[in-house]
Amino acid sequence: MYSPLGCQEEELFMADKPSDLVQGTLDMLILKTLALEPMHGYGIAVRIEQMSKGVFRVNAGSLFMAFQRLQRDGLIRSEWKATENSRRAKYYALTEQGRKRLNSETREWGRQVAAIARILEAS
Amino acid sequence: MSLRSIASGLRSLFRKEQITQELDEELNGFLEMAAEEKIKEGMSHKEALRTVRLERGTLEITKEAVRSATWESFAETCWQDIRFGLRTLRKSPAFTAVALLTLALGIGANTAIFTLIHAVMLKALPVPNPSQLYRLGDNNNCCVMVGTQNDGSFVLYSYSLYEYLHDHTPEFAELAAFKSSLADLSVRRPGDSTAEPYKGEFVSGNYFNLFAIRASVGRLLAPRDDSSNAPRVAVMSYRTWQQRFLLDPSVVGSTMNVDGVSYTITGVAPPRFYGDTLRSDPPDFWLPLSAEPEKWLLHNVDVEWLYVLGRLKPGFAPEPVQAQLTVELQQWLSSHREVIPQRDWKDIPRQHIRLTPGARGVEQMQTDYALGLRLLVTLSALLLLIACANIANLLLARGSANRSQTAVRLALGAPRSRLIRQMLTESVLLALAGGAAGLYLAYAGTHAVLRLAFRGAHYIPIDARPSAPVLGFAIGLSLATGIVFGIAPAWMASLSDPIDALRGAGRSTGDRSSVVQKSLIIVQVAFSIVLLIGAGLVTQSLRNLEDQNFGFVTDGRLMVSIINPGLAGYTEDQLGALYQRLEEVLPQIPGVLNASLSTYSPLEGSNWNERVYIDGKPPDYSGTAPSWLRVGPHYFETIGTRLLQGRTIDERDTPAAQHVAVVNETFARKFFPNENAIGQHFGMEDVGHSGDYKIVGIVEDAKYQDTRGPAYATFFLPLLQAPPGEQLRGWAAAIQLHVAGKPENLEPAVRKAIAEIDPNLAVLKVLSFGEQVARNFNQERLIARLTDLFGVLALILACVGLYGVTAYAVARRTNEIGVRMALGADRRNVLGLVLRAALAQLGLGLAIGIPAALAGGRVLVNQLYGVKSYDPMIIGFAAAVLAACAVLAASVPARRATRVDPIVALRYE
Repeated sequence: MYSPLGCQEEELFMADKPSDLVQGTLDMLILKTLALEPMHGYGIAVRIEQMSKGVFRVNAGSLFMAFQRLQRDGLIRSEWKATENSRRAKYYALTEQGRKRLNSETREWGRQVAAIARILEAS
Repeated sequence: MSLRSIASGLRSLFRKEQITQELDEELNGFLEMAAEEKIKEGMSHKEALRTVRLERGTLEITKEAVRSATWESFAETCWQDIRFGLRTLRKSPAFTAVALLTLALGIGANTAIFTLIHAVMLKALPVPNPSQLYRLGDNNNCCVMVGTQNDGSFVLYSYSLYEYLHDHTPEFAELAAFKSSLADLSVRRPGDSTAEPYKGEFVSGNYFNLFAIRASVGRLLAPRDDSSNAPRVAVMSYRTWQQRFLLDPSVVGSTMNVDGVSYTITGVAPPRFYGDTLRSDPPDFWLPLSAEPEKWLLHNVDVEWLYVLGRLKPGFAPEPVQAQLTVELQQWLSSHREVIPQRDWKDIPRQHIRLTPGARGVEQMQTDYALGLRLLVTLSALLLLIACANIANLLLARGSANRSQTAVRLALGAPRSRLIRQMLTESVLLALAGGAAGLYLAYAGTHAVLRLAFRGAHYIPIDARPSAPVLGFAIGLSLATGIVFGIAPAWMASLSDPIDALRGAGRSTGDRSSVVQKSLIIVQVAFSIVLLIGAGLVTQSLRNLEDQNFGFVTDGRLMVSIINPGLAGYTEDQLGALYQRLEEVLPQIPGVLNASLSTYSPLEGSNWNERVYIDGKPPDYSGTAPSWLRVGPHYFETIGTRLLQGRTIDERDTPAAQHVAVVNETFARKFFPNENAIGQHFGMEDVGHSGDYKIVGIVEDAKYQDTRGPAYATFFLPLLQAPPGEQLRGWAAAIQLHVAGKPENLEPAVRKAIAEIDPNLAVLKVLSFGEQVARNFNQERLIARLTDLFGVLALILACVGLYGVTAYAVARRTNEIGVRMALGADRRNVLGLVLRAALAQLGLGLAIGIPAALAGGRVLVNQLYGVKSYDPMIIGFAAAVLAACAVLAASVPARRATRVDPIVALRYE
């Protein structure tokens, strides 16, 4: 069983190599990536790594578990399509519900980061 | 878990192939894309794939991770575990059979006992909002009393006092009264040739309003029916309507002759309603109090004979109402001082009313059976513990036997939690299957227990079918057993070190789990000896009770109860002719040697006592008043009570002759300690009557009511001799027959003869004297039989356990035994080696169990008759039986050990 935002798979990340993702943020990053355009699994992984400038490395296990989870929650949907290299791949796209979730989570994340920053800078 | 997740989980369960294939393709694509990137950076294809696997995880592990993150995969592994568990259980049928039997017995016994407890102790009356019901009084004193009540707590009420409380306590929505004992009714439908016996209860008109129930057909009693000038009406119980009148709708509105009076049946009570008291043979008819034939009960202010039950209005707490009731009682008593004999006036301020929860009505059976049920709960819990110890032992032995298999699995990377889960699944499966079998046993067992407990009852309003709480109890018990006793062996097995197990499988001589196993056997032996000794004590006690000298002879005696002739329409001056007719006709039935009449017979449940006034002595109010009954000619010869001195009552003792009495030894000793009782005079009522009866004979003591204590002081009067000018009290309703051959065979002839004398003279019951006496020991018999049963079961379980552990030890030590034999040990040494271990466990178990049994025996001692709680014969016998069975159980594997071939044993593994 899993919690909606996935907290239990930190061991599946390639710990220590580049860096661990903050717990529960992978789902949000996937949603963000898909907000730009539908994308296949590897593309999403690469995009997250690029956007984080190599800070994060995503391994296949956690990525695909997240896909399964998000799909079951109705936040993303998938279809098989040809890639630019004419290979068959499953493309994921944001649903309307997923877009709403991304907005709310982004807002929440901003609030939390600001709050944490205030605490850390206080002294 | 969202609905969508359930739906997609189910989809993936059913389209597993496709889903797996898709995931495969997608992941392959992912890894290849990642590899292509690496190849672009200049790596070789092989190198690239390796790097990607290192960085991103391998295909298989990822697939496994993705798959196992879903709920359906959890369900799937459970299903796998279940199938695997079933397969392994099937593969070891002996283990499975023993385990199932053990569990079925343990759970079955407990479920049967719980069914009884639920039905008797916990279930409320089948009426709406039973928790609003409260009873006025906290004990079950019966039936008719005068004056203050014991310890001042009122439970029986006169009609006048009931009316006073009813009118002055508005906190009760309804306050109803009913006679504290049931009445035997003689009922004849128009057109029937003979009257049939039924049970009736006299209740106040608002009785059914109190319970807030509605009639199945017609209408129930209403307050307007309960007045002396209202037309006579009665309500029939549903069961009677169903079984005796086959749901005939014409019964409602019809008239029936009840005790010689015409009643209209107004309606039928709802199906499950059995009245205010859970008891065997509940009322067939409810009749208004005003119809009670013994008018003196209703109209005498000083006669206390009613139980009172009320329904509190919502929002009223019982405590203030209780206080108010006591105030009302005191008020009533102060304005009715004449109802209390003057010598008890000092006790008036102590009189009070306690309001007790009435959701279960009058808790007659609950009180009667509380002790027995508590004992049975203890016994069945002990049995369950023994069964659980057995299961734990079997599982432990299996766990150890499967140790190398477990080690291989651990070595191959199976997580411990997964192994434990698998083993736990197996034991839970086993427990549930055992529980199901136990439930079946419980159903059959409850029937048997009910029959034992209520021997002689026609109907018991207790359902033996397991109800929802009982089902829950059984399933919960099975699950708890499976989990608790599955976890420890599973945990132990999972702790085994793979290296150790793989290296030295089967070569060790002792380990942790065998210590646990031996301790469990010791505990089992201890519990078993406790149960066996308990069984011995209660069985011996029952035998002593049944075989005691009662002061009469039961062989070849038939006891017949007829309806009180007064209820069949006889008047006092017609009695003499009736008695004479009976005394003439009954001895003429072929096979009857002797016949007599009396008001009641020994141990049928009746006992009348009354103060006597001895001529020439001051009145004595101390102690219990002596018992009395009226008997006809040949009474003592018929029941086999010996005459010690003087003469018995015979044909000479007519109303016109001198009034005489026969007394028993205790009476003579008590009232005439240092003089001859013969020739003395005494009477009842008051000192003025002390010359009424002359004692003409003394008979031996006989027990009429209490089977455990000494016989009561008793006097016997002729059937028709009453003081001049007074009503005759005590009409004959019991017939005794001394017969040749089997008493029961005469029943049809006796019924026919009585019906020929008068069809209205309903025969209530015909029983052999032996059966009448036996019914006094229903509870003792129930407890003795069940303790015996539990004792034997415990013995079997302990022996199975001992056998299992010894057999397992022999199997594990085959190698060692082979070495010993090769080094020169002979068969006797080997036999001794194995048996010594088993005997040590037996001895330790006995050493713990016997003192425990002695301590437990002290709790029982009040229940025992003629047995000491430390009876050395019983303890010795129980220990001998247990030891013999244990040695037998251990000797089977021990003999197997002696047949070990050293060569084979050494080559083994």
